[in-house]
Amino acid sequence: MALIEIENLSVTFTAQGRQVRAVENVSLSVEARESYGLVGESGSGKSTILRAICGLAPVSGGTIRIGGAPVQRDKAFSRRVQMVFQDPYASLHPRHTLDRTLSEPLAIHGIGDADARVVQALRDVGLPTSFRFRYPHQLSGGQRQRVAIARALMLEPEILLLDEPTSALDASVQAEVLNLLARLRAERGLTFLMVSHDLAVIDHMCDRVLVMQHGRAVEELARDDLAGARMKTDYARSLFAASADRMLTSS
Amino acid sequence: MTLLSVKNLRVSFDTEAGLVEAVRGVSFSLGRERLGIVGESGSGKTMTGRSVLRLVRPPGRIEAEEMRFDGQDLMALSERDMRRLRGPRIAMVMQDPKYSLNPVMKVGDQLMEGLRQRDRLSRSEARAKAVAALEAVQIRDPERVLEAYPHELSGGMGQRVMIAMMLIPNPDLLIADEPTSALDVTVQAEVLSILDGLVRDRGMGLIFISHDLRLVARFCDRVLVMYKGRVVEELAARDLLAARHPYTQGLLNCLPRIGGDRGPLPGLDRNAEWAR
Repeated sequence: MALIEIENLSVTFTAQGRQVRAVENVSLSVEARESYGLVGESGSGKSTILRAICGLAPVSGGTIRIGGAPVQRDKAFSRRVQMVFQDPYASLHPRHTLDRTLSEPLAIHGIGDADARVVQALRDVGLPTSFRFRYPHQLSGGQRQRVAIARALMLEPEILLLDEPTSALDASVQAEVLNLLARLRAERGLTFLMVSHDLAVIDHMCDRVLVMQHGRAVEELARDDLAGARMKTDYARSLFAASADRMLTSS
Repeated sequence: MTLLSVKNLRVSFDTEAGLVEAVRGVSFSLGRERLGIVGESGSGKTMTGRSVLRLVRPPGRIEAEEMRFDGQDLMALSERDMRRLRGPRIAMVMQDPKYSLNPVMKVGDQLMEGLRQRDRLSRSEARAKAVAALEAVQIRDPERVLEAYPHELSGGMGQRVMIAMMLIPNPDLLIADEPTSALDVTVQAEVLSILDGLVRDRGMGLIFISHDLRLVARFCDRVLVMYKGRVVEELAARDLLAARHPYTQGLLNCLPRIGGDRGPLPGLDRNAEWAR
């Protein structure tokens, strides 16, 4: 049984009396400890799927099951599933110190020993413990994204939903954050569902990838098929070509 | 022929926390070619571009031994003469159409404003030129776009509108600051080929500012690599893979590749020496 099962998911927004179908009949399943990627251009519905899992988008059809049971957004859910957002400048509370940001989930869930856990969390994501009482504006973008990852891991979830976790970062900082995510996944046996517009990032991080366009699933690819350019649909191929074009070869 | 020459450019900000030097002694010259400036955020690449147009607000200060454009000393020009230069001779495309277009003005009015004010064209002439400019950046239904507000356009369309706007007065030098960073890869490729065609057909000089080293390498003739306000390496784009400077090499290697091995990506070991 897969850990995350999504069947015929549809998400419909109503804007100015018009219905916008952001996601239409998308199905996917992610095994435990797998890393699964969603790739597509802006407006393809990839982030909406993550938001729908968390209850942040209006689901108009289909089912989402986690560990075999239909998803319910209760306290148990947040201990199992956590999300890291795209923009570390917007996703951390500007007037909370890192200590407060990191200890809040512990307080909500009645988990003790907050002191030691916060210090350990900072160490786990490679931040100096002297940062503990700093505010987000005193950190760089990469450091903030480390805090966002640390926050997501405070409740020791099994599943991390990653929404473009590195697209706001410089290339060298992106490399550090991707390395951190890969290391944490290996150490803790995490399951990733990761969204990116960058095929190279998805290829680096994920075992399987679903290509999306206009809210629909276009094609699912295993990593080897992606690397070997063995795609069946024209859209997946054009996305690959536009990305492969950017790879500089020695020729 | 040299279109622009910059010698020992410095941009500094006198802040409460002391003097911050954003650009520290940058020199380059540009003919009718495509020059790329790459670096990470905070490397001074945007400030270098803005300095050419003297678009740095106080407390920011621009100093240069020399900054000449087509025989004119940019440092000595009056603000009035600079205004005459901005747009018709040197134009700049900003990074994000969401923040750079006027949100409460129709695209058409924004495109025609300069033509009406500066060139004193009639409404119908200005409109015809605006349509032609939108067609030049491959917008298929220019009439609809003229009547749209910026929020009604996608990112790629907005970016093309900004490029069209900058190209109407036919400038000799275009400074493009991350013109494609906010765009999807397939749209990015389109916008680049539009820019490329325009540079070739009109013989413009282009300064292309980007954090994306591989993109710049593919698109430009020459590349300046900036680190902490300095140019650490200048090289022909085709020689990028043979880059000598460890910073340039580091920037190239830290990007994941499709089909690459999935081991940890090499980080960038910053060396204090590079900033000297």
